[in-house]
Amino acid sequence: MSLMRIENLTMRFSGIVAVENLSFDIEEGSITSLIGPNGAGKTSAFNCMTGFYKATSGEILFDGKSLIGRKPHRITHMGIIRTFQNVRLFKNLTVLENVMSGAHSVSKQGVFGALLRHPAQRREEREILENAERLLDYVGILDKKDETAKNLSYGDQRRTEWARALAAKPRLLLLDEPAAGLNREEKDRLVELIRRFRKDFGITVFLIEHDMELVMKVSEKVIVINFGTKIAEGTPAEVQSNPLVIEAYLGMEEEA
Amino acid sequence: MIKAKEMMNSKWLGPGMLLGLLAAMLALPLFSNDYVLIVLWNGMFYALLALGLNIIVGYCGLCDLGYAAKFAIGAYTTGILMKSFGWNFWLTLPMVVLVSLLAAILVGAPTLKLRSDYLAIVTLGFAEIVRITARNLDITGSASGLNAIARPELFGLRLTKSIHWYYVFLVLVILFVFISHRVRSSRFGRALAYIREDEDAARAMGVNTTRYKLYAYMIGAVLGGVTGSFFAVRMTAISPQSFDFTQSANILLAVILGGMGKIPGVIAGAVFFAVFPEIFRDVPFIGDARMLFFGILLVVVMIVRPQGFWPERKRGALK
Repeated sequence: MSLMRIENLTMRFSGIVAVENLSFDIEEGSITSLIGPNGAGKTSAFNCMTGFYKATSGEILFDGKSLIGRKPHRITHMGIIRTFQNVRLFKNLTVLENVMSGAHSVSKQGVFGALLRHPAQRREEREILENAERLLDYVGILDKKDETAKNLSYGDQRRTEWARALAAKPRLLLLDEPAAGLNREEKDRLVELIRRFRKDFGITVFLIEHDMELVMKVSEKVIVINFGTKIAEGTPAEVQSNPLVIEAYLGMEEEA
Repeated sequence: MIKAKEMMNSKWLGPGMLLGLLAAMLALPLFSNDYVLIVLWNGMFYALLALGLNIIVGYCGLCDLGYAAKFAIGAYTTGILMKSFGWNFWLTLPMVVLVSLLAAILVGAPTLKLRSDYLAIVTLGFAEIVRITARNLDITGSASGLNAIARPELFGLRLTKSIHWYYVFLVLVILFVFISHRVRSSRFGRALAYIREDEDAARAMGVNTTRYKLYAYMIGAVLGGVTGSFFAVRMTAISPQSFDFTQSANILLAVILGGMGKIPGVIAGAVFFAVFPEIFRDVPFIGDARMLFFGILLVVVMIVRPQGFWPERKRGALK
């Protein structure tokens, strides 16, 4: 069953076409990747899916409901959570507070709850805290929970970001270039981790990436775009043998 | 063992110091004269304003250059209701809260959708509008302001002496600290911190940034309004000069000086701000030029310690 459906998505910036007529499905429970060379329109498509950009035309359906025109925070409340390409943690807050931010969309106490601290508010705070600690333990950095986020190593910042995303109890996890800045060994572990996320939390994973090797290892379905349009779609093996992809993507990488 | 000791310290040092400080503040009037009480009152008055502004600037990272307007709205609402309509002071407080909220929505709702730089300009302009309006309306007493505002009664006691106001403002400081602390250590307060740290990431985590910024702005406005209304009955006279841009700048400076967002730092900044010029009043030579030295000191502090007085401290679990 399709969890997210992109139909004829087009994104233009004052004349420049970043994404054109892009259509694909993300199956529930799958690991799907969108790849393409730099500047192919991956990030624009991603930002449309998360509400950070407003698509020029086309439709994005999540669980049958349109995401077009919804603000990013509304989309998060629907069960879609994203990570950022360059790890956007709340730098001056603790690791624990960072992970607790993920729970924002699945908790509800407001100003009066804060001032009155009634039992429902206390219970919710405790749940947020305990869940954040559990997730920090899951990603293996519980011992660093009280550190200021900016003092963490890059790898631990990534882990914090994953824990933060998982705290939102998402149905769909959108990863923006999760392998950026990782070495080979870390990338191998990332493949394991993405599979574990799906297995342990029952979530669907979608990633945009230009690291071909990682994508081919982890994905069940790969969509390839170049100059904003889709040039191939299929299993990693199918995509890898597609001459268009080899020309547009692999060819370029070899030159580089 | 050392670790256990450290934990004990961090757990008990804070509350212990707080209780000690509170006891000292409570007992102080027994040993001091009116002058000291008035200087300390002034310090607490600035502390209230700084705590109010801290919700907006320190917690949420918004730039408000017109906090004097919030404080003026409270002072004038109380002044007008008491002078022109004969209201009891305590009954004006709910009205002050209401008017402050409305003013905050009027300014904040259209502005807070934009990036926070615009808020700086709009709050600056709004503060001028409030001040100039107060200068020109009859009901606000125009340039000479409102005077002979009645002193309120509390449990049959008319609040006239410095010592009365010392205690009233001490209670207000405790109340504001309580509110600030509860706001900070909650889902709501964390959301404000997320906005301050990275607005896009906050949105990605599901925070309705526009709405939360408005809430922070409204809470700050209410705290400023309430402070203004107590200021009006303490001074018994208010005039537009009390609410000019210098006042807004002073409060903002107190918040930045003390260390944005941290309650003890903000209070320290405000008290320092109010007390420093007084301490040097009678020192020969420096006495006359004390504001000059104060200005130089501020510049030095900002260069040497841009994060403010209070040391950056790691926060543990927020319970």
